[in-house]
Amino acid sequence: MTEKSNTLNIEVHHVTRIEGHGNIVVRAKDGVVEKVEWQVPEAPRFFEAMVRGRSWEDIQTIVSRICGICSVSHSLAAIKAIENAMGIQVSQQTDRLRILSHYAEYMESHILHAGYLVAPDLLGQKSVVPLAASHPDLVKTVIGLHRLGNEWMELLAGRMTHPVTFKPGGFSSLPSEAQLRDLQQRLVAGLPELEKLAQAVLSLADRLPAFTRDTEYIGLVDGQSYTFYHGAIGSTDGKETVPVRQFESVVNEYVSPQSTAKWAKWHRDSYAVGALARFNLNAAYLRPQAAKAAKAFGLKPKNCNPYFNTVAQLVESFQIVEHALEIIDAVLAAGVKSETPKVAPKAGEGTGAVEAPRGTLFHRYAFDEKGICLKANLCIPTNQNHANIQKDFEAFVPQIISRDPQEVRLLLEMLVRAYDPCVSCSTHFLDVKFV
Amino acid sequence: MPDIHMRPTVVIGLGNTLMSDEGIGVHLVRALVVRANQFPAVDFRELGTAGMAVLHTLAGRRKAVLLDCVRMNEPPGAIRRFNPDQVASGKVLPGFSLHEGDLLEILALSRRLGEFPGTVILFGIQPASLDVGDSLSPVLAARFEEYLRLIAAELDEYAS
Repeated sequence: MTEKSNTLNIEVHHVTRIEGHGNIVVRAKDGVVEKVEWQVPEAPRFFEAMVRGRSWEDIQTIVSRICGICSVSHSLAAIKAIENAMGIQVSQQTDRLRILSHYAEYMESHILHAGYLVAPDLLGQKSVVPLAASHPDLVKTVIGLHRLGNEWMELLAGRMTHPVTFKPGGFSSLPSEAQLRDLQQRLVAGLPELEKLAQAVLSLADRLPAFTRDTEYIGLVDGQSYTFYHGAIGSTDGKETVPVRQFESVVNEYVSPQSTAKWAKWHRDSYAVGALARFNLNAAYLRPQAAKAAKAFGLKPKNCNPYFNTVAQLVESFQIVEHALEIIDAVLAAGVKSETPKVAPKAGEGTGAVEAPRGTLFHRYAFDEKGICLKANLCIPTNQNHANIQKDFEAFVPQIISRDPQEVRLLLEMLVRAYDPCVSCSTHFLDVKFV
Repeated sequence: MPDIHMRPTVVIGLGNTLMSDEGIGVHLVRALVVRANQFPAVDFRELGTAGMAVLHTLAGRRKAVLLDCVRMNEPPGAIRRFNPDQVASGKVLPGFSLHEGDLLEILALSRRLGEFPGTVILFGIQPASLDVGDSLSPVLAARFEEYLRLIAAELDEYAS
């Protein structure tokens, strides 16, 4: 970053060798903003090419590798799409256990986001590593909750990530009733830890910037629950809902000369997906402790402060634990039944949608009569949020342009972090210099 | 839930198997699992791109061996054995997203939390290709058995 007497020039660039991360570019002269851009290269579409020609039985394994954070969401969206294409029905037990698995991913992702990305900002640290020295109790709470999420995932999905138990039609292996009871006890024990984390963030909540911009929020709705898994597509801009098979009519991807990534719009020139969107659409259906947490933060629908996405994630963390406890009760009451999914492929096209932690995720596939994938279309949450980040920047930068350049930079970085974009998940290799 | 059968040594395979050589760590750990009975004191874990799972998998171990694709300015296919203190990260991350990962930072956090195993060894393999594809490049595929021998030797003290 450079600063001249009357010129503000902020460039947060991540030089990448593979596929690119987001860049922030701000230029202003004499207090007048000349350029504000959130730049992101097009998210990789090559996974779609990768599943073409592959068997319906291999799709979940492949797409679970797209992302180390959202591997359950990708797996479930794919399996729902396959089942939709082939007319496969699943049992109530499968439905419940899938939702339970999905919540494990939420636990991991939301806790990490609040604890690893946002808490260091609020506490003036560069990352979680120095935070572990300055605030060891907070970091221990975060890691304990994340570890619980990992073990929860391992129990249901067969692995800490990249699930191996999910199949079209059901599960290849099931948890025992004793394991579910154990999980239930651990989740009950986790609630006070979650409360600790929420209290820690609450004590810092006044450091969340007070920026609001009226925004359209989009997510799954079913009119009866705080859904992450079922439902149609709803918007805060209207009561109409759209079936997930018509998701393209919601996403409306378009190219903007300002951006290298495609943008999405429905009723306006941008919209947002993610925790705050789900809260704004479904807050009426929160469980008691989740509703209490929202109240403690003063979070009410419709909240249009993107920085409060993190608060909505904390509220959702209570929601998933409370609902998970109910699901386990229901599964145990019915008794865990051994089920062997027996399904045969058939030709067809199907769509699946779930709420990934970062927002609504859509998968669509077409298969031939042998179950070979003919085409695929994956629409990830981050792509739907890019235009909204840009619009937030355009509204926010003029409000803060007179502040110290370092502060402007931090506020914009925090804004991007609030959305927690999925900017590069496919390569994680180490890059080292020997010292 | 908590792994009461946790063995003292863990071998962790990292990487994305959809990006050719990026997945070398996962391919290697899968090959080692097949001969796991030679190493009764060793757990084998395929953690893919779940960076934070590494933190949890290290906790409670005496020794960890991490297998990963590493850019280290060596010829494609080169393998190097090193410990985390011998290297510095060349990554510049903006910290926008959980999706950015730096294994060295996770190892630093493990150390800070007092969970770091007594011995942590990395086997880094310089990629020849990071193109989309679920198989290794011919360069790495040709040396696969050599990699396995080197890693197995690292585990020999625990062999039956």
